[in-house]
Amino acid sequence: MDPFGGRSKSVNGTLTATAAEAPSTAELAFDRLYRSSRDDLYAYVASLVRDPAAAEEVTAAAFERAYRKRSRFDPGRGEPRAWLFGIARNAALDELRRRGRQAELAVDPADLVSAPTDESAEASERRLALAAGLAGLEARERELIALKFFAGLGNAEIGAVIGISESNAGTRLHRAVTKLREACDGAL
Amino acid sequence: MEPFKDENDLIAELRALRPRPSQEFAAGLDERAAAGFPRRSGRTDSPLRAFVARLRALPPRRLAFSAGATALATLALATALVTVNGAEDSGSPTMRLDSIGAHESGGHLLSHLNPSRGSTGVEYEAAPSVSAGAVGGSSRGTDTGPFASKARHREVERSAELVLGADPDRVADDASQVFDAVHAADGIVLSSAVTGGGAGYAGARFDLLIPAAKLGDALAAFSAIDTVASRHEATDDITAPTVRIGEQLRDSQATIDGLLVQLAGADSDGARAEVEAELQAERRHAASVRSRAAKLDRRANLSRVSLRIETGGGSAARDSSGAWGVGDALHDAGHILAVAAAVTIVGLAIIGPLALIAFFAWLANRARLRRARERTLA
Repeated sequence: MDPFGGRSKSVNGTLTATAAEAPSTAELAFDRLYRSSRDDLYAYVASLVRDPAAAEEVTAAAFERAYRKRSRFDPGRGEPRAWLFGIARNAALDELRRRGRQAELAVDPADLVSAPTDESAEASERRLALAAGLAGLEARERELIALKFFAGLGNAEIGAVIGISESNAGTRLHRAVTKLREACDGAL
Repeated sequence: MEPFKDENDLIAELRALRPRPSQEFAAGLDERAAAGFPRRSGRTDSPLRAFVARLRALPPRRLAFSAGATALATLALATALVTVNGAEDSGSPTMRLDSIGAHESGGHLLSHLNPSRGSTGVEYEAAPSVSAGAVGGSSRGTDTGPFASKARHREVERSAELVLGADPDRVADDASQVFDAVHAADGIVLSSAVTGGGAGYAGARFDLLIPAAKLGDALAAFSAIDTVASRHEATDDITAPTVRIGEQLRDSQATIDGLLVQLAGADSDGARAEVEAELQAERRHAASVRSRAAKLDRRANLSRVSLRIETGGGSAARDSSGAWGVGDALHDAGHILAVAAAVTIVGLAIIGPLALIAFFAWLANRARLRRARERTLA
């Protein structure tokens, strides 16, 4: 059985194994989970820890922990991506606790202004306003938005990651997006 | 500047803000993933942490299997240790069990404890602080107070139970030797019954009174008659009732003496009759006390011995040749299982509370960690 069967996304690079070390079903499944989640997980973790270097460290640690615990994953208890993001969330929050910093989104208005883009000044301003709006949200609301729009998780998966029901996750997410939109509309 | 047209417009912009990993990090992580996420150099975990991490990585089924195997091995080891120590340590309570078991089975794994013909493998059940010199003695502590602990000499009642194992055709001869031994010890046969027949049916039973001073010799003589299957001796300290009885007797005698003086001085028939009535009552009381004193005296001077001769089937020596048979194997297996059960119970009594405390500590720590993590987002 493939315990980590999930959606597939393009990831640069290919995981290989030598013929002598033929991967087991669980390893192949984890390989698929890794490929489908690498960038999403980084985006979510980076949103939480707000430091690219720390985000890389936490992302790697989360994959490492998940790999070591892969045999203990029970498909009957939830989606593999939710399981993986739960591990990453704990690792990110532990990192934040260790550093004594508050979790904030990685989106820094200053970064966006300096980002080299070929888009119009108006588009840049909209993006800056959006980033400012995000920064004005509560940490939990920002986490919901990061899980939904940066990591691409469904409401059920979001609920599993942060420990609430699917409908509750949907309600909270809707409120966060509405609040963000109001903040952006006010700024523009 | 135009605001967002609708929610989809906002979401599209949001997705464009998504943080992306650097090429170098992504390539490095892919390499590590391909290699099975080897531990990074520079991260030195303590052996305990490494062990815990390895345990946590195990699948639950494998973990349960390993834990079960470890528990079983520990149980087996503890059982073996307890059994061996019990056999070697004659002072321990286990030895008492083993000793009885050895006597009963007549030759098995614990055969070095097994009494041979005339063996003196004995289980003693002694009253506390009984001096050997006073055992069986009859001197009364009449010069002491009413409390037994203050008595200089102790009055001790001794009793014994002896089971001999014999072949059916030897029962009559053994019974005859028992009578001889009782006679030699100046003892009394209170009752006896000798039954003939095959193994399991033939046997004999004796209720004996043996002078306390000769009890040891008599038991040795009985033990020499045939194979000792079990032997049990007990002592009971009867100093306190003996002292009490003595005092009651003295008091009663003093009362009688006083009444006799009153009787001599009585100057009327009515007074004389009243004193005589009191005197009669007191004499009855004195007689009752003397009777109890005599009983106590007999208990101290004559030891009750219950002796049985058994053949086959029962707990007597089934196999006087000493060979180890199926019955002995079953007995030993039962004994080992009993020890294993005892070890398990003791182990659970120790481990259970500790495991419960550890479980609650783990739960509390988990809840604390979860709250601390959530506070980070608050």
